[in-house]
Amino acid sequence: MPAEYLLLMLACVAITLPLEFVLGARVYRRPRRLVLAVLPLLVIFYVWDAVAIARGHWDYSPAHTTGWLLPFAVPIEEVVFFIVIPLCGLLTFEAVGRMLGKRSDASAASSSSEPSPRSRNVPSLPEFREQERVPGAKDGGTGVGDA
Amino acid sequence: MPEYTVATAVAVVAVVAVELLWARTGIFRTAQYWITMAIVFFFQVLVDGWLTKLSDPIVRYAPAQFAGIRFPLDIPIEDFGFGFALVTGTIIAWQLAGRKETA
Repeated sequence: MPAEYLLLMLACVAITLPLEFVLGARVYRRPRRLVLAVLPLLVIFYVWDAVAIARGHWDYSPAHTTGWLLPFAVPIEEVVFFIVIPLCGLLTFEAVGRMLGKRSDASAASSSSEPSPRSRNVPSLPEFREQERVPGAKDGGTGVGDA
Repeated sequence: MPEYTVATAVAVVAVVAVELLWARTGIFRTAQYWITMAIVFFFQVLVDGWLTKLSDPIVRYAPAQFAGIRFPLDIPIEDFGFGFALVTGTIIAWQLAGRKETA
């Protein structure tokens, strides 16, 4: 099935949606920060992929890919991969952060688990903690990561 | 040494060096990061296992270009360095972007 690789990526997106909308990861809701996080790695790994394909490290089954190629013979599925997998990683990272925050403070606002724009300017307690837990942080950021 | 093996080792060292010498987000000292990586590892085995399964692979690796060890399932072990670099690099960039936006 030519769509198999894309469907696998779609499954990754679908299975991680609850991290955003149930556990309140707030990754999709910080689109600017999301782009800044994903784009540099996308560029680096695109180059890696292009070199690996050119040098014959790996190739892709024509039976399970669409055959749509981007510059340097990189399948479009690979770009989707380099967006989806980091996205899943960030959703996990933020959801875990919220769980750790909630464990020590059950009173943390649960309203931010809804896709509501009103929570934009109301940083929740776990996010303050997240900043405090980072010893290398060079500024006194408020933890408000909204785009 | 096979090229994919070398590339993976370089990528892992580069990401760790970027974090320790430049970005300094501190993620390596947080439970949040290590729990995340454990979860990511588990799901990588499922997804990557599907991509690389020898019975009907989506991605096909040249035997000469990786170390030849496929574990667990049929996953070339290099893939775990690849995944580590991709996800860790993204989390570092995410933390940097968050820092920038709050400055």
